[in-house]
Order: sequence, then C-alpha cells, then structure tokens
Amino acid sequence: MSGEIRLPEGIEAGDQSLEQGLIFWAKPGAETWDDARNELTDAFERSRECARNDDSFVYIVANDALLGRRGPADAIVAAGLLSAARTAAIEGLKKGWTANVIAFDDGTEPAAMIERAIALLDDGLVTGELVHLGSGHIGKALA
Amino acid sequence: MNGVVVVTGAARGIGRVIAETIRGSGPLSVVGVDVSPELAHSDGIVPVQVDLTFGEGPSMVKEAVEQTGLPLVGLVNNAGITRDARLINMADADFASVIEVNLGAAFRLSTTLSPLMGPGGAIVNIASRAYLGNFGQYNYSMSKGGLVGMTRALAIDLAPDVRVNAIAPGLIASEMSLAIPDDIREKMIAAIPLGRMGEPEEIAGAVWYLLSPQSSYITGHVLVVGGGRSLT
Repeated sequence: MSGEIRLPEGIEAGDQSLEQGLIFWAKPGAETWDDARNELTDAFERSRECARNDDSFVYIVANDALLGRRGPADAIVAAGLLSAARTAAIEGLKKGWTANVIAFDDGTEPAAMIERAIALLDDGLVTGELVHLGSGHIGKALA
Repeated sequence: MNGVVVVTGAARGIGRVIAETIRGSGPLSVVGVDVSPELAHSDGIVPVQVDLTFGEGPSMVKEAVEQTGLPLVGLVNNAGITRDARLINMADADFASVIEVNLGAAFRLSTTLSPLMGPGGAIVNIASRAYLGNFGQYNYSMSKGGLVGMTRALAIDLAPDVRVNAIAPGLIASEMSLAIPDDIREKMIAAIPLGRMGEPEEIAGAVWYLLSPQSSYITGHVLVVGGGRSLT
C-alpha cells in the first residue's frame, strides 16, 4: 500500500509524498454536525485502513480549533481526532505503528507541517503525542 | 436557583442518579430524556421518551421544557453508549452509532436548547476519562474527546451568560462497567489510587456542583472524576 497525504481543498503542501502511512489534515470550517461527523468518519475509515496495514498516521488540526475558538463543530473535529489518536496509539504499541497529532498556529507553512508529520511517521518512537507548531498554545488550558 | 434542568440518558445508571440528585437537591424541576420507556417510572421527573439522533428529537425536548413554564437553567448531556473493538476490527455501524449518540445528540440538543438559557445557566457534558485514550475504544474516545472540544467552544460562544463544563468519569459502578469481564475490571480497579470504582452518586455530586452557583466562575473546564486513575 502506498502512503496518503489527505489535504483540505485549496491547501498546497509542495510535492512531498509518502511511501506508507497516512497524514490526515482536518478540513477547516466545519459549521454543522453533518460537517463534523463526515470529517470524523473520513478520518476513521482512512485510519482503520492504515492500521490494518500496520502503518502509522498523523492527524493535523488547527490549534485554534482545538482550543474551541472556531466554534463547536470545528472543535469537535480537532479534539475528537486528538482523543482518537491517543487511543489508536495504545492499540499500535504491539504492532509498532504510531498515531500522533500536530496542532498548528495560523500562518504556519503547510510544507513545514507536512515535513514534521513525515518525521513523526518515520520516527517510530513518538506516539500518542500532541505536537504544537507555533506558540498559540502557550499558557492555554489543554489536556 | 429556580427553573428546569434537562438530563439526557436519564432512564438508567449514572443519568438516572444525576436526575434524581438534581430533583432532590432543591427547587429545580427536571426534564428527563431517554430513548428507553423505563424513564416513565422515575418519580418527580418529567419524562420525554425520544431518540435524539433523529431530526425532531431535540425539538420535542424543547417543547417539553417550554410546557413546564419554567426557565431553562441547566442541561446535562449524559446519554452515551459503547461499541468497543480495536480500530482494525471496528465496524462502520459501530463507529457511526457511538459518534451519533454520544456526540451528535449532545451537539444538536445543546444548539437547540442554549438559546432558551439566560444568565446563570449551565451546561454539563458527561465525557469520559477515555478521552485521554483507552484500548479498544477508538469510537468512544473520539466521541468523548469531541465532547470536550464542544465544551471549550460553547464555553466561549455562550459566555458570559451560560457556563459550559465537562466531567470525565473514570470507572464508575454502572451497567456499562459491570459488563466488563471480572478479571479485566479487577485489573482496572488495581490501577486506581483510591482502590475502588466510583459510585454514580459521586458523578451526580460533581454535576450538581458545576450546575450550581458554587461554580459560578468556572467555565470551559474538564473535571476528571476518576479516583486518580490518570496518575498511574
């Protein structure tokens, strides 16, 4: 199985590609429950396929969404993916695959985020972790 | 504090104890919501038997609240189910049902009822310690993490009039936890510093605190009620 980088519409992240694993960048702008459910379901289906191949995955979410600053539907997607990654990380331990989350501040270069995500996929030691890119999380409540 | 509080999943288990605790703690009336007909037998609680995952469900609850003639002062999103499996084996239907019941119903009901709430109102979402991760619960963990995210967002959106918080129960003596095989449950209890399962009344007490004026400066918070399980 070849790897997959799933980007939101309109996001250009250079010509990087994956040999294996999944990078799932959550679509921004969820407003309704249907928006949120469809995004979570998409992440589930792609992650399940990835895990069945013993491949690692990384979710990418906006830090503002994780903190609840972009409305409830966007927050549901971001925080739901974080919790799902934590559970998946536990399940991947014996098989050696990992699950992590990158949370980014507005203005972070997409290509830089994909680079970090690929590094997490290649690393194999970091799992169940929330990696912040930027400083928007400092001094804010999040667990 | 005078008015009505809506509690979902009120027919059994933790939800029923929450509803009875609120009803017995003061002048508040309770609208209990559940898909189960057992709800009708709860004393002093206005029953609304409805499936919140379908279109008209939240509107029916809204009508029931309006029929009480009392102001809506609280909402407890408690309804939840489990359909556990490892991610690699998880069926589409089991993923969808957990996400719809645990998260979609709470989203729909909160957005339907919050316009009825005025200053001093409070929403309490019953998440789970599993939002920090729990083997075999990708769907459940995602749904409870989503609830935590929704809690933060609504705390911002509904301030300053309405406070929104979440409770993350650990292992509580309920039908859900008693369905866990004995040997696994004993291992789980051994990892709890307080050395026992929690009682539904201990969750209800935390809910009552977060609904009451005693917590008037707390919003957007996740209160873990788990006997210290997250420490070990």
